[in-house]
Amino acid sequence: MSNAAHRLLWTVLALLLVAAGGVASAVGLGWLPGGGAPLLGAGPVTWWQAGTPWSALAVAVGGVLLALLGQRLLAAGLRAPGRLAGTLTHPGNGGGRTRVACEVLTGALERDLLRAQGVHRARVLLTGPVGQPDVWVEVRLAASADLGTTRAHVDAAVRRFAATLGCRPAHLDVTAVVDAAPH
Amino acid sequence: MRTVNRIATLLLAVALLAGGTLVAVGALLAAAGHPGSPVRRWYATLTTTHWQDAPVRAVAAGVTLLGVVALVAQLRRWRPVRLRLAENDGWHWHRRSVERRLARAARTVPSVRRARVRVRPHGDMWRPRVTATGDPEARADVEFALRRELDRLAAPCRGPIEVRLLPTRRTT
Repeated sequence: MSNAAHRLLWTVLALLLVAAGGVASAVGLGWLPGGGAPLLGAGPVTWWQAGTPWSALAVAVGGVLLALLGQRLLAAGLRAPGRLAGTLTHPGNGGGRTRVACEVLTGALERDLLRAQGVHRARVLLTGPVGQPDVWVEVRLAASADLGTTRAHVDAAVRRFAATLGCRPAHLDVTAVVDAAPH
Repeated sequence: MRTVNRIATLLLAVALLAGGTLVAVGALLAAAGHPGSPVRRWYATLTTTHWQDAPVRAVAAGVTLLGVVALVAQLRRWRPVRLRLAENDGWHWHRRSVERRLARAARTVPSVRRARVRVRPHGDMWRPRVTATGDPEARADVEFALRRELDRLAAPCRGPIEVRLLPTRRTT
């Protein structure tokens, strides 16, 4: 999940919390009718008693759906946003096709980036369609690194990567993290 | 805030997973007529507790407060993780690393002891703000050191640099 998705999720949840808490407070303080009623009203109680055991099974299904929602949210929260994972397939001229694991390609570009002087660490992420991927690069630079040289090297490495993969990157996004102190 | 959001989402996911499993197991036990089902206890609690009871009102107030705090935190303007370079060619500097580097550059001025730099984007430009401890007369030196470092970073910063120099406290 992206940062924007997290922000949207928590904005919606915050609105729901404010609405639910506000209504409950208003009822509890007597500003809205029903303050003397129990939390579980007569309607749900009648439904529960009349529908036994099917009502209990319906609640069980609701619980399973909630647990599944939690599992999906957990998986989405732990996954990198929009990552192009798995195997890239490239059709050939004849009947054959080339299949390459995505990590192999990004690993190759990372190693190429690390050849530049002053680059300590490089991380590459591919998103979008195979033919026109978005290339996200993060490089950690030494304090003494020259930005112009590094930029030229990164651009050249991405061009080599695109030629090897047979693709045209739709978008190149580079984030440089610079060390404060010289090593 | 981004890290807080991610941790909160993971906690919510775990709570949904655990809560949903508990509800499902409890309801299945109730459907099977098992005497130890927690659903019976929940049923008893929910049918004997009223909206006007003090614990319910306290929880409702807490939920409202939590919602307001979360809403304000989400809607206020966040500081960017990255700062864009002059040319719109996809290159960015990591903001915190730039701030650390600029603070170090400010500390190279002899009379400056501590320095903290905050950089805010303003349109396409960067607006650095320095808060440092040192001789107020060294303002021009600090600004010069920062300009030199910003030039090295090819930063789009042509406007004024805000420098606050607080005199060093002397212990007697």
